[in-house]
Amino acid sequence: MIQLFNVCKAYQRDQNALSDITLRIEKGEFVYLTGASGAGKSTLLKLLYCAERPTRGQILVNGRNITRFGPARIPYLRRDLGIIFQDFKLLIRRTVFENVAFPLEVQGRKRFEISKKVYQTLKNVGLEHRLHYYPLQLSGGEQQRVAVARALVVDPLILLADEPTGNLDPEVTLDIMELFKNANARGTTIIMATHDRNLIQQFPRRIVSLTAGSLAVDDLPLPRLSAEVTGQP
Amino acid sequence: MVLRTGYFLKRALRNMRQSPVLSLASVATVAVALALLAFFAIAVLNVQQLTASWGETLAIVAYLDDVPDDKAINDWVKDIESYPEVAKVTFVNRQAAVERFRKRLGDDADLIEGLGPEVLPASLEISLADDWRNEAAIATVVERLRTDHRFTDLQYGQGWLEKLEAFLLLLRVSGSALGGFLVFAALVIVANTIKLTLYVRQDELEAMAMVGGTSLFIKLPYLVEGALQGLFGGVIALGLSFLIFEVVLQKSLGSLLLITGIDTISFLPPIWQGMLVVGGSLIGLLGSLFALRKFVRFGSP
Repeated sequence: MIQLFNVCKAYQRDQNALSDITLRIEKGEFVYLTGASGAGKSTLLKLLYCAERPTRGQILVNGRNITRFGPARIPYLRRDLGIIFQDFKLLIRRTVFENVAFPLEVQGRKRFEISKKVYQTLKNVGLEHRLHYYPLQLSGGEQQRVAVARALVVDPLILLADEPTGNLDPEVTLDIMELFKNANARGTTIIMATHDRNLIQQFPRRIVSLTAGSLAVDDLPLPRLSAEVTGQP
Repeated sequence: MVLRTGYFLKRALRNMRQSPVLSLASVATVAVALALLAFFAIAVLNVQQLTASWGETLAIVAYLDDVPDDKAINDWVKDIESYPEVAKVTFVNRQAAVERFRKRLGDDADLIEGLGPEVLPASLEISLADDWRNEAAIATVVERLRTDHRFTDLQYGQGWLEKLEAFLLLLRVSGSALGGFLVFAALVIVANTIKLTLYVRQDELEAMAMVGGTSLFIKLPYLVEGALQGLFGGVIALGLSFLIFEVVLQKSLGSLLLITGIDTISFLPPIWQGMLVVGGSLIGLLGSLFALRKFVRFGSP
């Protein structure tokens, strides 16, 4: 699903944010991207949704070399992705319904289809009763659930989450992780940047750890994950 | 895309509702700039009409020291009227010239009391056809009159004509320059106002880019918004200039204008009114386009 070959990213000359990253993530995997602040987690995610371009190396997403994508092709790549941020990035002047409907509007879906899909997705994250609320009328946990709903409403092939639970208390974090687990169980590949050790221990999955821009650890998926992905006991 | 016109229009109107102050600033800028332009156009238009009416009175006067008999005068009149540049030739005898002068003096007519008709010369007044009221045509006719009829005393407002043509040219050039400047100023201000609204809605632009909005999808509502603001500005400018025309020019300054010889002043013709409104939309559209040119990128949030 995702392959990185000797990827480097330097924001400034002789200062690599990422150095020689080679990585392969299979379809349906759930991968934690860990490392200290400044280790390059967010940069790696940005490279995957083409907000940044690698200085060197190649990146393949779903068989397409995205390093060769021109600006006109990037929007269509992003339609296959769901992106979640630590600070939610919701549109505060739009209701919960409108925020979640937004990616479907962008894709030019029919209005009745949008209504149906948005309601169903909000129901899945337990927010169907908050349809007409504005983001600032919601708690932090609810706002992040709206962000998750916005990412999942398009049935993305890949979910990229950059510290999605960083601003949330432990109880809400568990709710969000349940949503991710469900999405993963439905076949969505998930890459989640986090440095929350407790979370990783509670929901153990493959860990890709970065140190100063280099790949430090790449633990193989635990048996439990394999069982979930394959559906075998 | 055609089917989604309603969607983009709705979003543009919604954006305007959400940032009323900035939207009003854009509309007001276009309105003021175009109202100034319209007002200047009204001035140019009326001055042109006035000078055109002055042009209608352009005539060559050939003064006759010795008045020949009626037959000779009729022959001259017929001959000169056969010139392609000439519309009409009128013979004014000494008596008629004195009467005309007396009328022009009005209350001071007693100044020439007791003077005989011999004080003023008889003349031939030669009016030019519509297409030939210009300096070059007058020079041609004057030359022919000198050669064919040996008229020596010819008057045709030489210096005045040159000044009139120079004045008209100056008016057109300064009108175009001022108009261009006003349109450019409006364009820059609208572009900057829309840029401000884009800064305010940066989160929305980023979110649109993150969920896969194409460049056109992201830009279109703002382009529609700019065009709508320009359209509203154009309509307001038209209303404003009409109001000023009616209240200030027609009612308050009407009597003053009569003294200067302007009996009727006219508003912009319908085609110009249409151009003002369409021009407003274009200014708004171009302003948005300039603002968006470097704004919408697929960068990181």
